[in-house]
Amino acid sequence: MNRVSLAVSAAIARVTESALGPYQTAVIRIGFTATWLLFLLREFPHRQELYGPDGPWDFDLAQQLVGSNGAFTALMWSGSQVWFETVYALAVLTSVLLLLGWRTRTTSVLFMVGVLSLQNRSVFVGDGGDNVLHLMCVYLVFTRCGQVWSLDARRARREGEARARGERVGPDRAGPALWAVLGLVLGAVTAVGRLDGDPTIPVILWMMWLGTALWWAVDRRARTDQPRILLDVVGNIAHNGALLVIMAEACLIYATAGWYKIQGSRWQDGTAVYYPLHLEYFSPWPALADLLSASGTMVMLITYGTVLVQVAFPFTLFHRRVKNVLLAAMMTEHAVIAVVLGLPFFSLAMIAADAVFLPTPFLRRVGDVADRARARLARAVRRGDHGTRVPEPRTPEDPEPAHVGFTA
Amino acid sequence: MDAREEGSAVRHGPGGEPHDAPAADVPPRAPEPEAEPRTGVAALSLRYQIAAALALAVVAITVCVHTGMVFLHVAPSNTVTKQHGEAIDDWIYPEFEQNWKLFAPNPLQQNIAVQARASVATADGRIRTTRWYDLSAEDGRAIDGNPLPSHTQQNALRRAWDFFVATHDAENRPVGLRGALSESYLRRTVELRLDRADAAGEGGVVERVQVRSRTTNVRPPKWSDERVSDRPAYRVLPWWRVPETREREDAR
Repeated sequence: MNRVSLAVSAAIARVTESALGPYQTAVIRIGFTATWLLFLLREFPHRQELYGPDGPWDFDLAQQLVGSNGAFTALMWSGSQVWFETVYALAVLTSVLLLLGWRTRTTSVLFMVGVLSLQNRSVFVGDGGDNVLHLMCVYLVFTRCGQVWSLDARRARREGEARARGERVGPDRAGPALWAVLGLVLGAVTAVGRLDGDPTIPVILWMMWLGTALWWAVDRRARTDQPRILLDVVGNIAHNGALLVIMAEACLIYATAGWYKIQGSRWQDGTAVYYPLHLEYFSPWPALADLLSASGTMVMLITYGTVLVQVAFPFTLFHRRVKNVLLAAMMTEHAVIAVVLGLPFFSLAMIAADAVFLPTPFLRRVGDVADRARARLARAVRRGDHGTRVPEPRTPEDPEPAHVGFTA
Repeated sequence: MDAREEGSAVRHGPGGEPHDAPAADVPPRAPEPEAEPRTGVAALSLRYQIAAALALAVVAITVCVHTGMVFLHVAPSNTVTKQHGEAIDDWIYPEFEQNWKLFAPNPLQQNIAVQARASVATADGRIRTTRWYDLSAEDGRAIDGNPLPSHTQQNALRRAWDFFVATHDAENRPVGLRGALSESYLRRTVELRLDRADAAGEGGVVERVQVRSRTTNVRPPKWSDERVSDRPAYRVLPWWRVPETREREDAR
């Protein structure tokens, strides 16, 4: 009994005193925002057809559907062209900002608003990849996803260094300004009844806005450290809860995909993989598809392997090494799907979701490699300015891992 | 269940750790600068610890309920979902809807091509019916050799047709609001494509459109001794009037 209560109190200490998985949350932040950003840029020429007020799924049709299901979308606040272009541009901008990790507490909320606004506006053009982003952008709001690899982290480090040198750090201006502007918008939108649909997202928006205000007030006004520490604890708890939900969601995706496949006759007879490869909509490289499906044994191995990996993955989380092997297998399979089935954004979103399970040492190594590459680039640029060229020092480590996990 | 256990454990927490509680009474600003500031519940006084425990309980319960709801949403119909289907739907829709039956239980084994033709009022006052345009084949050609297929090529028409089929009965009669919406959506999608293909021709106006699907089995693999029919099956929808034409006629 005593052992149990000790374990429980240790667990409580763990989830309250720190936001776990800083590298994992940072890598999914980068992964999901990069996926959405690349998608928005790729569809930029087609944005009117997909989400515009005069596209096939026009403003009127969308209004009828949204009126019946209450989904959140800022695009329904006005049917004008200008508003549509503004929202699309803001969706691009917030993806960039969250990717870079600028004011992640706020930009993660704005990123969610951008994703939901476009996707809920036209639900019938999306696929599994959109579905992943839809869910994850909501969960991401509750995480402290800017602890590493972000402009937020850099700002915190510089402020800390300045304080250590005894310099005075000026008050933050951008934060309160951003908060005030967004508060005005949120208040106005609520007042005119544009948030009267399903309450989930409006509640999240108000909660975040009020939470930020509370945080700021406590940080500046509180006489003791206690309220600040409490807010920090609450932030950690929310982060750790959201991280758990993200992991559970990824497991549910694989479990559902795997267990339903087991029930299918084609997955049983080992021919399933052959069929998507020969659908008109999923065969950008017919010759490659033919090559992959030339051998029946090969198709069966891939078919059985896919089911095996998907069903097994959630259970392997209890064994680090086996989990990592399966993780590598799944990321590879998604990379192959990206090309062979012509589903690059779906695959990118899935790889980003997988990345939440990557081990910390690996992610740190990737971070170091990226850091060195950036420093080398900066040096090269500086030297280029001076017009002298010196051979680059070779780094001892293979820079190859930089490609894994980063989903650009 | 876990949530409640964990929550109550938290509430007992402060009492169970008598050694940690006094730590909170230490003045918050310690004189030695190199000392790490204490964080977590251990650094809080009892009052704040109770607040933290409450937060932990709320988050733990929310996480468990949400994960449970999502599980029941993606699980096959079962005893629990039959009894509490409404509560699950209330929690899930609209923002947490999801479907992960990716190529499952069986992958689609047929190519479903959506085709369309138009009835055009020509410049010289006659009515002409165009040939069938194979819009899915156009999509297929746009996807061929394309490393980044657009949603307009891969999803728009395909899913517009799925939406139509899901909201219509075998006699092509719409079911509910969504049935009506899907009809307008499919018609507008097809109009856009026919317009791009310049189906109306010089000076012509598309007055009506007709849509059909052509379903063909994917040929079984070469190494398989299976045989399937290679005869296409058609589903032909009635002619639909293009509403803009009506407005134009009224204006005349």
